[in-house]
This record gives sequence, structure tokens and C-alpha cells, in this order.
Amino acid sequence: MGKFLLLAFRNVFRNRRRTIMTLFMVSGGVAGLLLAGGYFAHMIDGLREDTIRNGLGHIQIFTAEHFRRDEVHVLDTGIDNWRQVAATVKTVPHVRGVAPRIEFYGMVSNGQKSSVFMGSAIDPDAERSLGFTSNVSSGRDLSSRPGSEVEALIGAGLAKSMNVGIGDGLTLLSVTSDGALNGVDVQIAGIVTTGISEMDARYLRITLNSAQRLLQSDRITNLVVGLDSTANTDAVYDTLIPRLSGQPQQMTLKKWTDLATYYKQVRTLFNGIFLFMGLIVFFMVLMSSVNTLLMTMFERTREIGAMLAMGTPRSWIVALFMSEAVLIGIIGAIIGVVVGNLLGVLINISGLHMPPPPGYTVSIPFLVKHVPSLMIGSSLLVIVSLAFASILPAVRASQLQIAEALAHV
Amino acid sequence: MDYLVKVEAVSRRFPMDHSYVSALDNASLHVSAGEFLAIAGPSGSGKSTLLNLVGCLDKPTSGRILLDGEDTSGLKPARLTALRRDKIGFVFQTFNLIPVFTASENVEYPLLVQGVGASERGKRAAVALESVGLLSRAGQRPDLLSGGERQRVAVARAIVHRPALVLADEPTANLDSHNATQLIDLMRDLNLSLGLTFIFSTHDQRLLEHTPRIVRLCDGRVAEDTLRQEVCHG
Repeated sequence: MGKFLLLAFRNVFRNRRRTIMTLFMVSGGVAGLLLAGGYFAHMIDGLREDTIRNGLGHIQIFTAEHFRRDEVHVLDTGIDNWRQVAATVKTVPHVRGVAPRIEFYGMVSNGQKSSVFMGSAIDPDAERSLGFTSNVSSGRDLSSRPGSEVEALIGAGLAKSMNVGIGDGLTLLSVTSDGALNGVDVQIAGIVTTGISEMDARYLRITLNSAQRLLQSDRITNLVVGLDSTANTDAVYDTLIPRLSGQPQQMTLKKWTDLATYYKQVRTLFNGIFLFMGLIVFFMVLMSSVNTLLMTMFERTREIGAMLAMGTPRSWIVALFMSEAVLIGIIGAIIGVVVGNLLGVLINISGLHMPPPPGYTVSIPFLVKHVPSLMIGSSLLVIVSLAFASILPAVRASQLQIAEALAHV
Repeated sequence: MDYLVKVEAVSRRFPMDHSYVSALDNASLHVSAGEFLAIAGPSGSGKSTLLNLVGCLDKPTSGRILLDGEDTSGLKPARLTALRRDKIGFVFQTFNLIPVFTASENVEYPLLVQGVGASERGKRAAVALESVGLLSRAGQRPDLLSGGERQRVAVARAIVHRPALVLADEPTANLDSHNATQLIDLMRDLNLSLGLTFIFSTHDQRLLEHTPRIVRLCDGRVAEDTLRQEVCHG
């Protein structure tokens, strides 16, 4: 068998120019897939961590009621004893911290113009301890010990439409948890850019205490749990379920994967694009290799005839041709992985940026992630493609009529 | 009498356009073990067709061929493959050596197909190469060998597994007269020293001088079968 494989290996390099052309195509396909897949993987990873760090956290805790009905008044379905729940959650291993949040909405006015806002109230210290980014593009983040003025961060789009800047005052109007109308004056501490223009046009953030005073409630909408690693999400989730079952309010836990709709859509889209690219590479390698291998078969017709005459089983001829194709695939895949990774390194150090995608306001760094599973997958793809490509020439070669093959010119 | 090869009223016709061309017509031939036999005749007389049929590379349209007592006409492909592998050695007009193998590896090939172990293959290939005087060229690839050397390697490959029958179809067609005579002499030496049966085809009259038995074909028929007891080798 060793000698037979040696024969296949030497045959691969028999017509060097043709083999180099095939290797060029195979390795190019692998390198292309690695670069595209590595870029997609970087984008997906970045989007995942951005999604988590931008405030989604790894796990969110709501009351079960929150998902059963719509709120009549703000915080109708909020968590009452959230400090006790937070304390319980903090005892679980891998939990870095817990941040309370209130989601609310209302009107914001500068005295001349009013606009709708989507508000988010946070505990600045808790958010910072979890490493959540505040996305402040100018000014400063919310202070955990504000002075007499209530501070606010507003979206860049909202600031522009209200024609306000850092240090300017605004009045927030909202319906309290009792259904009454309440207002609070805020001073703009900073401008935030979420990266999504529609969000920036409505976004406003104040501290939790300020929101509870505005909404006249001690409740919160949810607790956001931050972990030491995204990989521990499932384990912590499984631990938290029984621990929170004894709370006066029934709780519902949501993993970040349940809440990150946009992330899932993007991942599905990228997976679809990558699958399509993989199919293109597969068929490109398949079609061109069939032609090359058929040419090889015709050139070696007399030699194959002689091998068959000497008692070589026809299955050996099939195996020989397939081995040669698979060897080309393996060599091409190795070259492709090396070239793809080298190009990836070059791209990563070049500091290239891609233009912002639709709906985004910031450009994305063009970085390529080195993904071992992608290297294995791309390599297997071209190897399988070449194995498929060799079936027709291999079967044809094995079915040659010996006498005719020996007389082939 | 037991013959190694019995060709009994064999015909072979090939389809051509809307009719048939008869390459071999009712040919009969008996060959005993250890014979050294030449099939002679002009181009198109049916020499290659006859050798292909005897070598189980083709099937007769009618008649039957017995190899070592076994009727090959009705055998399944796998059995024919096994027969060729174990009982027949082939020498081809165009050498047909595997170009990416060395001379030694080419000679080993029939043993590889038989499943012989690597060290045994090496030893037997060396013996075969020595018998054709090319042991010193064992490591050379065919493209570095002369035409005469290539054909001697092909002869070594044909005898390495000690087949009952060696078939050589126009083995000298691509050689000059000097190398052609040397090759026939070499085959005759091997025939005498190893007791192998050789059947070779040629259209070169000069090569028949040292051949004890000559079967002449003409238009697909056996025109003459001459046994020359007086031939003295060497």
C-alpha cells in the first residue's frame, strides 16, 4: 500500500505545470474562504461581545409577569425586591456583577421643541463594574454621586434634533407608575452614540435614582447579569433557575442569545453568505478538476492499460486516481491555510477599515479571525470536492478495455 | 499431451462502420510449457489480436482458448485478472513502464499486485534485473534509460513473478536491429535458463533465425507452423 501511495504521490507531480495550476486554484479557494470566514467570524464575535457589553449582559432577569401582559402603567410588571434578587445572583460563581435597569419613555423638551425619547435608567457604578460601555462620544459618563442637578446622557441624533449640547438643560416628562404626569429637569452630561442612527435619534439615559423619582416607583424593569466569560452563560443560567424559584415574585431568565435578535439575524445572514461562498468554491474546484483529471486519464491510457494487463484490479485504478486527487486537495489545502493565515495577519496589522454597514454610523475595522474549525472545514471542502471530481475520470480509467487502451496513441 | 496454451478454432471480428472486420479467422495453435515461439506475419495479419486473446486481454468471437487447462473464454473479469496477474508476463511494444517509478520499482510492480511483501519484492526485483543485466541501473527512472534498456526492464518486469507464460507483442518494434537481436537473445536465454514459455510476435525476419518454432499468420489465419529442431542457440 505504501508503494501504491508513493505512485499516487509521484503522479501528482508528473505534470508540474498542470498540478501547480490546480494547486493554485485549490489553495486560492481555501485562502479565500479563510479570509472571508475569518472576517465574518471576527464580525460575529465583535457583534456578540458588543451586544453584551453595550448593556445586554449575559443573562437578564425579569418578572414572569413582564412577558405575560403589557404594562398599563410604567413598571407595572417590574421587580419589587430587586436588591434581594441581585444579592442572590451575586453568590453564583462566574457572576461578575448585577446591574438594575429601568426602561421607560416620555417626552423631552428644551422649552421650544419637544420630542419623544426612549429612556434607560442605570446604576453607573454597577454598569462600570460589569465593564459595559457607555458609548459616550463627547462629554462624560453619568456620575454615581450627582450634585443638585439630575444628569442625562442623550443620543447624538436626539441632541441634534433638540439643538442642545453638553451642559444644556432639558425637561423630561413621563407618566408615573400611578398614571400621573411627572417631570424632572436634567442637565446634559454627555452625548452617546450607539452606532445605530434610529436609536441615537430617541435615546436618553439617566441614573436609576433619578428615574425612580421621575416614575415615583422603587421598582426596576430588570436585572442585567454580567459574567466573567460568555462561555459560562449556560452554566450560570442553569444554576440561577432553581436559586430564584423561591422569590415572592416569579422570575423569568433570558439568556443573551434569546434577547440578541439583531445578532442572530446577522449571524444567520453571514452563515448564509459563507455557505454560498463555500458552494461556489466547491463547484469551481469540482468543475475545473474534472477537466484536468480527465486530461490526465487520457494521457495515461496506455499506462493504465498496461497496469490492468498485469493484473491490477480495476478498484486499484479507481483508488489511484482518487488518491491523486485527494493528495492534490490535501497539498492545496495546506498551502491555502498557510497563505490564508499569512494574508490574515497582514490584513490585521494593516489597520484597514470597512465602511459602516447600513444603519450604522461607525466604520468597522477589517480584521480576520484565525478559526481552526474554519481551516479544517475549508480544507475538507476542497478535498471532498477533488474526491468528487476524480470519480468520473477514475471510473472511466478503471473501465478501459485493455487491448484498446494498449493500442491508444 | 498437456499444453500450456491451446487455441482452438478461434476467430475475432471487430465491428467497423456497418460491417465486421475479421482479425483472426479460425486459428488453432498449441503451445507446450517451455517453448520459445514466434508469431510472424505482416502488419494486420492478426499477431497482436492472437496475443491479446491468449493473454486474456480480449475475448474471441468464437472458438476457445485454454490456458494451463482452464478455458478462459467464459471466465469472469475477476478470474481473468487473477490469471493475468499470476500466470502471464507481458512485454509491450512501447515498453509501458511507469514513468514515475524507478527501474527496480517497475520490476517490482507485478509482485506488488500479487501482494508480496516489500523486502521480498526488492530481492526478487534485483534478481530479475540482474538476469537482464541492468542491476546497476535499478535506481534510474525510465526516462534516463535507453530504448534497449527500457525493454530489458520490461522483460525483467514480465518474468519477476515467474509466470507460466510470457507474451511479448512486437517487443523489438521500437529498437534498432542490434538491440532487437540482443533482446530476442535475452528472452531465449531466459527461456532456456528459467524454463519460461515465451510467445512473441514480430514482422522482422532477421529475428526469427534463433527461434525454434515459428507460427506464420496471414490474413488472420495460421499459414504455417514450423518447428526447427536444428536451431542451435548461441
